[in-house]
Amino acid sequence: MSWPSALMSATLPALFLAACDAGPPRGADTGSGADSLSAAETERLAVETYRAAVVTADSIAHEANSESSRYGGTIVVAGRNDVLTLNPLVATDIESVQHQAHVLFTTLVRSGPDFEPLPYLAREWTMDPEGDRITFHLRDDVYWHDGVPVTARDVAFTWERVVDPQVPFFNPAYFDAWEAVEVLDDQTVRFTVRPRSNLLYGWAVTAIIPEHILGDVPPSELADHPFGTVSPVGSGPFRFVERVPGDRWVFEANPDFPEALGGRPYADRLVYRQIPEDAVADAALRTGEIDLIVDANPASAQRLSADSTLVVASFPAAEYALIAWNTRRDPFTDPSVRRALTLAMDRESIVDVVRGPYGSVSSGPVGPWHWTYDSAWEPFPYAPDSARALLDQHGWTDEDGDGVRENRGVPLRFELYFTPRQAWMDVATIVQANLADVGVAVEPMAREQASLVPLVTSPDRRFDAFLVSWARDVPLDDRDLWACDRVDDPMQFTGWCQPELDAVLDSMQFVSNRESLRRLTHRYETLVAEAQPYTFLYNVETVLARRAGLRGVTADARGTWASVTEWWLDPEARR
Amino acid sequence: MVARSGGPTLIRYVGRRALQAIPLLIGIVTLIFLILHLAPGDPTAIWFNPSIPPEVLDRMRVNMGVDQPLHVQYVRWVKAFLSGDFGYSYTHFRPVRDVIGDALPNTLLLGGTSLLVIFGVGCAVGSLQAVRQYGPTDSLLTFVTLFLYSMPGFWLGLMLILVASTSLSWLGLPVFGMTSVDHSLLGPLGKITDVAQHLVLPTIALGLASAAGVARYMRGEMLEVIQQDYIRTARAKGLPERTVILRHALRNALIPVVSLLGLYLPLLFGGALVIEVVFSWPGMGRLMYDGILARDYPLVMAASFLFGALVVVGSLIADLLYAFVDPRIRYE
Repeated sequence: MSWPSALMSATLPALFLAACDAGPPRGADTGSGADSLSAAETERLAVETYRAAVVTADSIAHEANSESSRYGGTIVVAGRNDVLTLNPLVATDIESVQHQAHVLFTTLVRSGPDFEPLPYLAREWTMDPEGDRITFHLRDDVYWHDGVPVTARDVAFTWERVVDPQVPFFNPAYFDAWEAVEVLDDQTVRFTVRPRSNLLYGWAVTAIIPEHILGDVPPSELADHPFGTVSPVGSGPFRFVERVPGDRWVFEANPDFPEALGGRPYADRLVYRQIPEDAVADAALRTGEIDLIVDANPASAQRLSADSTLVVASFPAAEYALIAWNTRRDPFTDPSVRRALTLAMDRESIVDVVRGPYGSVSSGPVGPWHWTYDSAWEPFPYAPDSARALLDQHGWTDEDGDGVRENRGVPLRFELYFTPRQAWMDVATIVQANLADVGVAVEPMAREQASLVPLVTSPDRRFDAFLVSWARDVPLDDRDLWACDRVDDPMQFTGWCQPELDAVLDSMQFVSNRESLRRLTHRYETLVAEAQPYTFLYNVETVLARRAGLRGVTADARGTWASVTEWWLDPEARR
Repeated sequence: MVARSGGPTLIRYVGRRALQAIPLLIGIVTLIFLILHLAPGDPTAIWFNPSIPPEVLDRMRVNMGVDQPLHVQYVRWVKAFLSGDFGYSYTHFRPVRDVIGDALPNTLLLGGTSLLVIFGVGCAVGSLQAVRQYGPTDSLLTFVTLFLYSMPGFWLGLMLILVASTSLSWLGLPVFGMTSVDHSLLGPLGKITDVAQHLVLPTIALGLASAAGVARYMRGEMLEVIQQDYIRTARAKGLPERTVILRHALRNALIPVVSLLGLYLPLLFGGALVIEVVFSWPGMGRLMYDGILARDYPLVMAASFLFGALVVVGSLIADLLYAFVDPRIRYE
């Protein structure tokens, strides 16, 4: 999905205005260090924005008649999990975060297709030549849904709270290079910053919260404040109407949302409903009770796509599945054994069974969702013969003829932990069969999450291997997973580390040049691939299943909800 | 000899039962506290993700109070509980009282309609079978009830959803949730109809298997009663068969069946746990299920206390009903 085509499908005059008004992100690219775009990058953006504007203007001429007919109707979206809170300070899961950033609230900036920062609440920003101060100039036409204008004070307040140690904000790393704030006037706010890659990314996913409502709440009480669960007041394209806990959130179009940011959304109402059971969500989609499933089960998606009244689409999700080896324990102390195990796994088959067409074999911690991804790089084929040879070479042979290799009398046998999900059971079954082929015995062990996590994170690391998937984030800050000085911390459960990787991971957080970042990321992937502390299994694609009458749903790794203001219902599809 | 119902004896009896319930409930709650906390687990495990730094999770554990020793947590919980404070749910970011306050009525509604189905359908089918013993109706119903009785509720639920959304879609029965999208825009009558429609499938799924059980039981009781001397006497008096069955046989056969009520209440809440997940019913069962998996201690503790209390109250009601339908029983 490229940016121009996203705009084409939108064909919103409002976005045309936005493109002209906002322009490319001025100031961020003055080459002053942190997070600045290169000159070439800026030029590319400017050209694309211009092209998009031209194409959009062209489409408007064609579709002027139908434009007004898109307004109206109630869009009902179903997800497996409830949105538990819309408090941006407690962003616990992907649906909640997406609702915060794209539906109810506005963010300071928003992400382009390669996660480059684009203007949103901030119409522009400038970096001081020294690179240590960044000044945001805010729009003056965005209002809280209770009528109070959104000002620089709200931005400063949001920052003060997310960095407050009493607030359990889940992603403090977004703002650890942000040191001080100064409100210059209602529309101008200046921060003191240190150099950091993806400096502005945190501002693209963390919604601004209203100081006039939450200003007096003690920081330690903010997480449980009814603002997030009972009476949220936002500033985004949709307003909060009601919540029935465990069942639904209801939003209505905000008619006062600035034209330059997309204006009033097409849908009159937007309803999010929780349907925990996949089969039930499918049935509800067929009967027309819902219009869209945001994270459809890949197995049922293939059945749904056969229905001509439904449309199934997918996009690369920031998630991959893996098997983590406890390199503190034999036989996983030996990298050759780990490499052999990876070579022995038929990961293509695993993808086929578990994800169908909605996934791909993963080779490293970066997937197709990220702009640094290199699809040509695939270091480990499925090669059971090589695996056998490698194990033979390193002293693992089946001496007693029981089908399981031994080394000095110790059999090559291990326990594979996972949470009891269908996908994991399928993976474990295939892995067990694949490894049995090369003389390795696997004992699959299902444990519910709350009891499995302490097993792997506690200091004594009572596990051999475990199967899990990681949700990724744009900054790719994986130091908690690999750093040598964190081997005793909960997330460093493989126990494997390497000084060069430490240096690479550190640099990745501080380079500003995108090309350098790409090279560093590849170095990171190569180092991990050589050592195989993980066996990378597959990259996940998020599957969207919708009624054909719901249009304008364009989604990419930025998330399903990023395009929510452009969703519209065919008049005949409205209920 | 005292009056069968009402009067000071009844009040004394209920009071005594209520007093007996107190140590029982304290036992239930303490046991659940122990089981919950002795099971391995960590309430922050649901946020197991490399992008969330360990310090944040430590902060959350402090906020939750689970960094404290077990006895401190227990004393804290009991103290707060006695002052009517159930604490904050770890996963819902709301007071437990509010979370349960939203869900409990929904579960009671579903439980109530299911009880009606269980006993209404169960007694009717069982009696019919007894009256037509060994006839084709009896055989057919025996097959059907045994089939339903051996079906797991969630499977029955999924099959109902499948049928309702495909070959029976003309019925327009909603397959999930408790209300339609436009519920808030409906008038009072429309709202009731809306909820009633949503109740149909989960009620059938939750009630049918138990109804089949009650039917088997009822059939047996009825067959026994029909062979009693007083039924022969009633027939000999020339009473119409209808009166014999409905007035003389049915009422007597119902007596032991009513005592089943107390047994079915806990089963009902247990079944709701599964059925509510299948039908996206926003009730206590789903709260409990998610709460247990997430180690949301305050929520699970409060919910189990309530379930325990409901079962105790339910069995008391069953005992009272038992005496009401059987004149031989007195509250002494």
